[in-house]
Amino acid sequence: MRSLKEYDDIVGPAVLNQLGQLAGNLQGLKVIHVNSTRTGGGVAEILSWMVPFMQELGIDASWEVVEGDKPFFATTKLFHNGLQGNQVNLTSRNTNAYEKTSRQNAKRLRSTLEPADIVIIHDPQPAMLLHLCPNRRGKWIWRCHIDASRPNRQVWKYLRPYIESFDASIFSMAEFSRTLPHPRFLVAPSIDPLSEKNVELPEDEINDTFSRFNLDRERPILVQISRFDRFKDPLGVIYGYRLLKRFSPVQLVLAGGEADDDPEGAKVLKEVRESAKEDPDIHILLLPSDAHRTINALQRCADIIVQKSTREGFGLTVTEGLWKGKPVIGGYVGGILLQVINHHTGFLVNSPEGLAQRVRYLLGHPEMITTMGEKGREFVRENFLLTRHLREYLTLMTGLRRGFSNRLIATG
Amino acid sequence: MATRTVKEINNSKQGNVTAFQIKDCALIVRISDQLPAINLRELRERISSCSPDSIYHHFCETVLRPSFDDPEFHNDFAIWARRGLHDHVLAERLEMLDPYSFPNMEELRKEILDILADRLSEIYYIPWALHENAFHFHTATTVVFDTNMVIESPELLGQAIADMTTSSLYYHFWEARRRTPERRDDFSLWLEEWNDRGEKLIKAFSSIDFYFMNLRELQTKLCTTIENILGK
Repeated sequence: MRSLKEYDDIVGPAVLNQLGQLAGNLQGLKVIHVNSTRTGGGVAEILSWMVPFMQELGIDASWEVVEGDKPFFATTKLFHNGLQGNQVNLTSRNTNAYEKTSRQNAKRLRSTLEPADIVIIHDPQPAMLLHLCPNRRGKWIWRCHIDASRPNRQVWKYLRPYIESFDASIFSMAEFSRTLPHPRFLVAPSIDPLSEKNVELPEDEINDTFSRFNLDRERPILVQISRFDRFKDPLGVIYGYRLLKRFSPVQLVLAGGEADDDPEGAKVLKEVRESAKEDPDIHILLLPSDAHRTINALQRCADIIVQKSTREGFGLTVTEGLWKGKPVIGGYVGGILLQVINHHTGFLVNSPEGLAQRVRYLLGHPEMITTMGEKGREFVRENFLLTRHLREYLTLMTGLRRGFSNRLIATG
Repeated sequence: MATRTVKEINNSKQGNVTAFQIKDCALIVRISDQLPAINLRELRERISSCSPDSIYHHFCETVLRPSFDDPEFHNDFAIWARRGLHDHVLAERLEMLDPYSFPNMEELRKEILDILADRLSEIYYIPWALHENAFHFHTATTVVFDTNMVIESPELLGQAIADMTTSSLYYHFWEARRRTPERRDDFSLWLEEWNDRGEKLIKAFSSIDFYFMNLRELQTKLCTTIENILGK
């Protein structure tokens, strides 16, 4: 496990010192994170560094995971999809499975959770625990990692009583939140610059990636990393590439995770393959879910990163691309708007034509590729690394202990 | 923070002059209870009733939150007028508001409302934004903490500022203007105690048009200014 000190070269000692000072008034505070899995997925990825780093800063942090059977997780998957606005059919069998498993988890975890100073419940899976811990002593926070702004009504109607009872909630962007009767805070996600997906790679490894995927380093390379999902618009990216190909000998890499459990994803992948098959310069790569280093290398092989989504959450692939010092051409949606600033870190586009035009412009101005890349990397360093993420949690916890006013003086 | 210019607080007095205690701050942003605004009329209504902290946040705390320093616009209302409502005239008018030239947020609020009312009277339609581009009102809580570092003399100020976090700089240069009765930055207030040695710096600091700089630019500007006056 890494130590915070290892980030010194990246963020500077002042930032680490700041975390230490801020944590000074939280020493020994008992903080428990609860989610539904210890491995796989963005939340587990965050908690796997956040909990040890909180401990390193003197906070008594721990991580609990709710356990469940297939019907429980089938139901929480419905919640997940429903909260994001998808049409789902929530039956009494689903809610019974959810409530039964939540009660079992509460029985197991109650004695741990009730005395805690702060309990942070991640996403809807463990949300019912609050109702099942009547003697809770501390503040309970609901951390919503998804876009819950337009949930399926049936799902929201069921979950709302549980969620409204929390003392506060945290969203990644204001646009993802619901109106709730308690304070709602904003904490944007972050990337770990030392993780496999973002760590600096040896030149040899990047060179190997060119060879491994048959990429010609003499010609420009566009890379979009994303699931094969309609909202990521891979067909639009191919169309934009074809428009561009008339003017420039570009290569396109569309790389994403396997979609075996997602029938829609498999269908999109098939369409993408059909659309690309005639062209040896389009590389469709289906990568295993743990191919973080490969993704890292592909992003470093790119001249320009593309994320032409038509709907997007925060868009951490954009953050990753910027961190690699590449300009990003992104869709005019979601969190991409916070990261891609026209003429500074990349370009926002609304169509395949826009994508082609902006890539053409950048390829004609290679100095812009360099300056935008440098600016993007610094922008991420300032705003979207895990140290900022941790700082905001520490600030929130200080506020929860002391009450929120416009200014609080922390005492060490 | 380990530099030759600052040291741990233990002997924070030099003669009769108090050493400058470097503080730092961190923000947590909260979504306001105000409903989001979707058109210019709603923006005006919401601004008329939002908390002064919300106005302060959208004008002054924008430099600290995780977002790109917009090169054209520096307050959220101007940015939204430009990007959400696509009203360039309104965006330019709002952008010219310098929150630090108003005695308090209520006076600033009146001026914003005047600008919005004027604009509404000039146009024959109500500019509106797409649902996904609605204006969300925020406030923030600032947690202030000691760094346990001090600056002992004006000669050490430049290096200390160069080593500061941007949030520390924000606290001492921007936020101080809201916090202190004199509505001035903390460095200038401290430099007053140093008579002639401080006077030139105070004058130079007061002529910096900091509102249109991001915190890194301000940091560089302050360091250059100090170097020009006091030498390296």
